[in-house]
Amino acid sequence: MVRARINNRIRRLRFDHNEMTQEELAGRVGCTRQTIIALEQGKYVPSIELAFKIARAFGVPLEDVFQYEE
Amino acid sequence: MSISQKTAWAQLAIFGALVIAWLVLFIINGTIFYWQNNTMKMTFYWLSAAAFAGLVLMNIIASIVKNRTKSVTDERDRLIFRKASLWATGTSYTVVVALLLALAITYMNGASETVPVNFPLFIVIVGGVTLVLTQAITALIMYGRKVNYGES
Repeated sequence: MVRARINNRIRRLRFDHNEMTQEELAGRVGCTRQTIIALEQGKYVPSIELAFKIARAFGVPLEDVFQYEE
Repeated sequence: MSISQKTAWAQLAIFGALVIAWLVLFIINGTIFYWQNNTMKMTFYWLSAAAFAGLVLMNIIASIVKNRTKSVTDERDRLIFRKASLWATGTSYTVVVALLLALAITYMNGASETVPVNFPLFIVIVGGVTLVLTQAITALIMYGRKVNYGES
């Protein structure tokens, strides 16, 4: 079985958006700071809903935040 | 550390202490069912009741905190809770079935007089403690590992 991998650029995008804090991003998308930390460390793959909320918080398409690798 | 992680640590502390207390009771008395001089005859049950009361109190406090603050738990916490609960239910079920099997074998061998009268209640309590401990340990392990929402 081929194991898929989902990477993200959340840390990069936070810094590109006036060094947005993890707390601020968490507040905007309605999750905890711990989840943002887990996402940045690649320890959590979010739901489609949360992924869209994060992309919307940065004002970019979903593909600019999350990349799917097979 | 999220409130769910803190709750899991508290569960582990309370019920880990309970299991240690049971072991101490067993080492001192040779049984966990009665206290040797009868001053605290039902020690096992009092200890267990205190632990479960602690669990209830802790959950009441946690729910008050959750209502006061927004976003203290989210989809990741709920996902981990669900997965940990599945593991806990399976483990607890296995432990209870194993103890019931041991009880049945003892009865089939005609040694029913060796079984304390309160052994069935002991099985229920051990099942409950296994459930809470496994739930806490599994949740804490999952908080440190990679979790995929799509695999829920």
